[in-house]
Amino acid sequence: MNKITVYNDEIKIENSGNIEISVGEASKFFNVQSVKVKVLEDTDIVIDVSKVDIKLDFYINVLKGVKANIYEYKHDGEYKFQYKYYLEEDSYLNIEKINDGRDIKEMTVINLNGERAKVDSNLKTISKNQEKYNFLVYHNAKDTISNIVNNGVNILDGVLEFNVSGFVSNGITGCDINQKGRIINMTENNCIIKPNLFIDEEDVMANHSALIGTFSSDEIFYLMSRGISKKASENLLTKGFLLKGITYYKETLEEIINKYWR
Amino acid sequence: MNILNIDNLTVEVAGKTILKDFNLEIKSGEIHAIMGPNGTGKSTLTKVIMGDPNYKIIKGTISYNGKAINDIPVNERAKAGIFLGMQMPLAIEGVTNADFLRSALRAKEGDKFKLLPFIREVDKYTEKLHMDSDMILRGINDGFSGGERKKNEILQMNILKPDVVLLDEIDSGLDVDSLKLVGESVMDYYNERKPAILLVTHYQRLLDYIKPDFIHIMKDGKIVLSGDSELALKIEKQGYDKLVGMDNE
Repeated sequence: MNKITVYNDEIKIENSGNIEISVGEASKFFNVQSVKVKVLEDTDIVIDVSKVDIKLDFYINVLKGVKANIYEYKHDGEYKFQYKYYLEEDSYLNIEKINDGRDIKEMTVINLNGERAKVDSNLKTISKNQEKYNFLVYHNAKDTISNIVNNGVNILDGVLEFNVSGFVSNGITGCDINQKGRIINMTENNCIIKPNLFIDEEDVMANHSALIGTFSSDEIFYLMSRGISKKASENLLTKGFLLKGITYYKETLEEIINKYWR
Repeated sequence: MNILNIDNLTVEVAGKTILKDFNLEIKSGEIHAIMGPNGTGKSTLTKVIMGDPNYKIIKGTISYNGKAINDIPVNERAKAGIFLGMQMPLAIEGVTNADFLRSALRAKEGDKFKLLPFIREVDKYTEKLHMDSDMILRGINDGFSGGERKKNEILQMNILKPDVVLLDEIDSGLDVDSLKLVGESVMDYYNERKPAILLVTHYQRLLDYIKPDFIHIMKDGKIVLSGDSELALKIEKQGYDKLVGMDNE
């Protein structure tokens, strides 16, 4: 298990030896720090980010045949982060990310550079202010797979946006692209999901779904008909919606949900 | 003694009147069966008693133990002891049966809630109802067959121990063995706690296991004929058309 802890402008690294990692200054002018990680062997990386007042760029390279899990928790701050992932042949990357920050802007670029590289990405957020997530997923090699799941519950002054674009060039056959976005909007504010597929190849499987709405009144009625209050029903439904696909930070996410639906 | 009283109730859904000047009184220890063709308001009756916000009460009163409950939220009605076993129980992915039932029982019992007795009760009734023991860890009705969903409703009834039980077509989707199991479970619950039971059904077959004291036929949103268990046999033989002058849809 490796751990990257980012607190204020300090970046701490715990390296169990199966990654190479370097921390540097990406741009002094814009106050951007960078973290470059090369995953050498199968491993897990935990990223804990809080109260950060710098911009941060992550570069993560998963080598040939390596499987990596990244578990990230971002809280208590305003964040402008950029992530760039590079996956080599037969590599696998699982990203589980939970966000409980204030204003968040993220750009995630996933490069599936080697044949049969696969990425599973699960983002869960409770949006209280402005949150915008952009994903660019490049299938640069044959038989690559991407599963991008973005789930958010929008509350208080939240305005939440998911933009996901998948790219396949001509000749890159056998790819499997999946995008699922769902926002439970519990405000009158506008939320946006833009699922885009830019595909110039016929031999591709592609699915995308985008859903913005509230919890179903029938679901609420069913739970309330057993004596559960409306607030507690929403708590249960939020947990059901957000906890799916989250393992390492599951209890943390439950605590976050309990904080807002007490 | 608990008394559920429905007095002169008129109910609309989506601008259409479903129940018209409906009257009924149910007391602890009584079993009432409501029968009738589709579209006469039987399911509406159970949902409006439970407080489904999709149904609008135009006039009349639903009272429980002398207190009007028209404006009481759904969860408060449930906590007061009213339970609705639904015709088509929803599947809710991600919310486990365990979390759901624990939350429901905790809402009812408050600080008196104890986890161990809860687990024992769940084990007891899942076994009695021939349900998979791992169902408790699955999402509510997630991947359940129609029969399993109905058994899950009966499981919930046994855990929550209501005083007024509304069962809306609890027999639909059940095979012969499951129908017997569900019917007998309802009667076991009745014999143990003597609740007031209102069941909606289309068929006499459920009444082989659950023995009602009163049978009512609904037409155009109100009860037009009441009787004892003989009435169900008459319906089976003659149909609604002959008995109350309407087409059976």
